[in-house]
Amino acid sequence: MKKTGLVLSLLAGAAILATPAFADTSGKRVALSNNYAGNSWRQSMLQSWDKVGKQAIADKIVAAADPFTTADKEAPTQAAQLQNLILQGYDAIVINSASPDALNGAVKQACDAGIVVVAFDGLVTEPCAYKVTVDLAETYGAEEVRQIAKRLPDGGNLLYIRGLAGTSIDDDITKGVYAEIAKHPNLKIVNEVYGNWDQTTAQKAVATVLPSLPKIDAVLDQGGDAYGAAQAFNAAGRPLPLILLGNRQDELAWWKEQITQKGGYDSWSASEAPGMVTFAFWVAQQVLDGKDVPKEVPMGILTIEQKDLDKYLESTPVGGVANVEYTQAEVIQAIEDAKKK
Amino acid sequence: MVALLNRPWIWSFVGAAVVFIGALAITGGQGAGGMVTAAFSLALFMVVVGTGQMFVITLGPGNVDLSLPANIGLASAVAMKVMDGNDVLVPLGIAAALGSGLVIGIFNYLLIWALRIPPIIATLSASFIIQSVDISYGRGLQIKPPPGFADFTNWQVPVGGVGVPVMAVVVILFSIGAAIVLQRTVYGRSVLAIGQNIRAAWLAGVRVERVRFLTYALCGLLGGLSGALLAGYFRGASVDIGNEYLLASIAVVVIGGTSVAGGKANIPGLWGAALFLVVLQIMLNSYHISAGVRLVITGLVIIGVIVAAGGPKAAR
Repeated sequence: MKKTGLVLSLLAGAAILATPAFADTSGKRVALSNNYAGNSWRQSMLQSWDKVGKQAIADKIVAAADPFTTADKEAPTQAAQLQNLILQGYDAIVINSASPDALNGAVKQACDAGIVVVAFDGLVTEPCAYKVTVDLAETYGAEEVRQIAKRLPDGGNLLYIRGLAGTSIDDDITKGVYAEIAKHPNLKIVNEVYGNWDQTTAQKAVATVLPSLPKIDAVLDQGGDAYGAAQAFNAAGRPLPLILLGNRQDELAWWKEQITQKGGYDSWSASEAPGMVTFAFWVAQQVLDGKDVPKEVPMGILTIEQKDLDKYLESTPVGGVANVEYTQAEVIQAIEDAKKK
Repeated sequence: MVALLNRPWIWSFVGAAVVFIGALAITGGQGAGGMVTAAFSLALFMVVVGTGQMFVITLGPGNVDLSLPANIGLASAVAMKVMDGNDVLVPLGIAAALGSGLVIGIFNYLLIWALRIPPIIATLSASFIIQSVDISYGRGLQIKPPPGFADFTNWQVPVGGVGVPVMAVVVILFSIGAAIVLQRTVYGRSVLAIGQNIRAAWLAGVRVERVRFLTYALCGLLGGLSGALLAGYFRGASVDIGNEYLLASIAVVVIGGTSVAGGKANIPGLWGAALFLVVLQIMLNSYHISAGVRLVITGLVIIGVIVAAGGPKAAR
């Protein structure tokens, strides 16, 4: 224990000395702390990290960008992993946290050791960490309503497929949806169901609610569930409404199918791209570089319009999710914008 | 009429009818046909899975198959991979799904018989193994069914303005077959005998272990079949496609009037219970009730139906 303390204080000292002295990050080592790899989103996230990290090493921007993954979204295992990363002397840790508060202790230890911690996706509440934030209410919920309003100038009936009940993500998006819908009196949400961001659940939920509903003109959702919703309309023999889409390949492929069959299906896709890990990477690099970075850096979401669909469909593997990697320049711009607010 | 009321399965149908009227009340009678179609389309999966679970539960206390959700998930992936989007390969894909389910059923039985692990633990731990196999086999990807197979699972024939799902008719025929197996064959009677008193059955010459083996294998097989059908209906295999059927497979058995203590099985009740559960969802969704309240009501109503169905016989 004593030894650990010594190493920590040495590291802290080194970091304090190093940061302002050279505004150069070519000797810095960055680690990714991840807690799950069992779905396509996390798989894409790791691929993006690998791609951008390797390029940054080749360009001599950083010395190392190593990913570490524990299993099963367990906070205690990830805390132990963080402690290992501290001992291994990384200069920055980019973290997708298994819990908003259970890792605060370990994150604080890292900060105290002079390590830059940047959280994304799974955020931490520890104030010493930098956070990549996404304003889901505004950029997702409210924007969805605006996109529908644009496509249905005469208004109509909406069905809203929510995500997982009780999660902050679902609450945030829903707040944005209802705040914006109040400004569009001709759009009416006639019912809402829970689809758990899952195709099968969404199809069941929509199939059970459809018989009781009037004609639906558009479906608001939170992504991952659009394909299931479309199948439910199909099975019920109902005309296909405008369904907003998420980022899964099956949703995008279905969209393409509609365009080919009908000569156009003017929908809109929005999602948090797994490439946000690269956004967090560049934030960490900027902090290491001695730049003045606010504690919260807002990130936009990935949106796809009909005209860009082919490009994204091409780069998305079958069964995977649409993705985008962020460049250093984009992140520097985002940091500047954040400072202005 | 009195004879009918004494049937344990009648209550599940009464429950289904009540919630159906409840659902129609809010729409003012609109959409009744659509509700019936949706109810049968979704209930049939519960019936197939529930039939396997019912045979297992009827074997007596402690017998249950908790590996069904994982089994269904793996079978859905196996079926879709073998079919490979090609309609010609559909029979092969279904056979592969059945095979996958059968192997899982046999594996469950071996854990229970050879290692003397209680079925709850054996099937639950088997499900972890199966799920891991599924994740590494399916790679978390959604694999699409061939168009012909997908269309078949959603094939509806309009009868008097109501779309009758063809697959529901097939499953009703299957249920009649299962009832004959249960009541009219040596195997079926043996399952009931073992559930009533395993020692008496053994003394009477029933080959207990063979019947138990066949029952777990049958349950696995039906899990595999539903995996393939679900992947067709929901347009793609996924690891969690069967998640709902852990609770649902047991709930339809119990609500349908089958004794949890074993020895008393009930096929028509499966249909009543499955329709009841689906129509309950239709009703709650139509009433636009918040998620928390929805779950509370679902729980209370299930308890209510079980109490109503089990009430008169509680004296035993």
